[in-house]
Amino acid sequence: MFLGRVTGTVWSTVKWPQAKGLKLLLVRPYRLGDLAPGELRPGAEASEPTDDLVVCADTLDAGPGDDVLVAFGHAARVAVSDKLAPGAKPDVPIDAAVVAVVDRVEIDGEAGR
Amino acid sequence: MIRGTVVGQVWATRKARGLDGRTLLVVAARDADGNPSGRLVVAIDVLDARTGDEVTVALGSGARNVLRPGPENRDLLCDAAVAAIVEGEG
Repeated sequence: MFLGRVTGTVWSTVKWPQAKGLKLLLVRPYRLGDLAPGELRPGAEASEPTDDLVVCADTLDAGPGDDVLVAFGHAARVAVSDKLAPGAKPDVPIDAAVVAVVDRVEIDGEAGR
Repeated sequence: MIRGTVVGQVWATRKARGLDGRTLLVVAARDADGNPSGRLVVAIDVLDARTGDEVTVALGSGARNVLRPGPENRDLLCDAAVAAIVEGEG
């Protein structure tokens, strides 16, 4: 999983049928330099984005400006399928999903800096 | 697996059901020279790792095996888990 800030949304008309009705968000991953002791440094003045934006399925109603936790791979499909059709096979054609809207990130002042 | 340093913890009320009750640690990954690469990974912790600990993090299906070994674990919501707390390396 990784931490990121929602920067926008993506929509499309032509898509795989299983992806119908799925909301897609653009998420910019946080890097070590974006973390200040105590908390996440608020947004834009953080370090230049050096990582690719990630397109994530969202079932938690997150929106631009939210800090979110994103899971990759099978874990993403488990989270989304459980929300769309509990008990069904996790066969949605996605590989990244918002699995939590972050309340708080506690960072120790010295460790890892 | 990757190795890194635990730098913090994440709290979230609004989350997928599969994350209920999980401890979520922020781990700063290390590069080939042992320096922080800048990349952050959030890993589920069942080993009671603390901030400042050096850890290894298993990714993908290896991470699910940390929480529940065996093939019957594909229902788990887990793509990263603390697999070991590192004491030394050569």
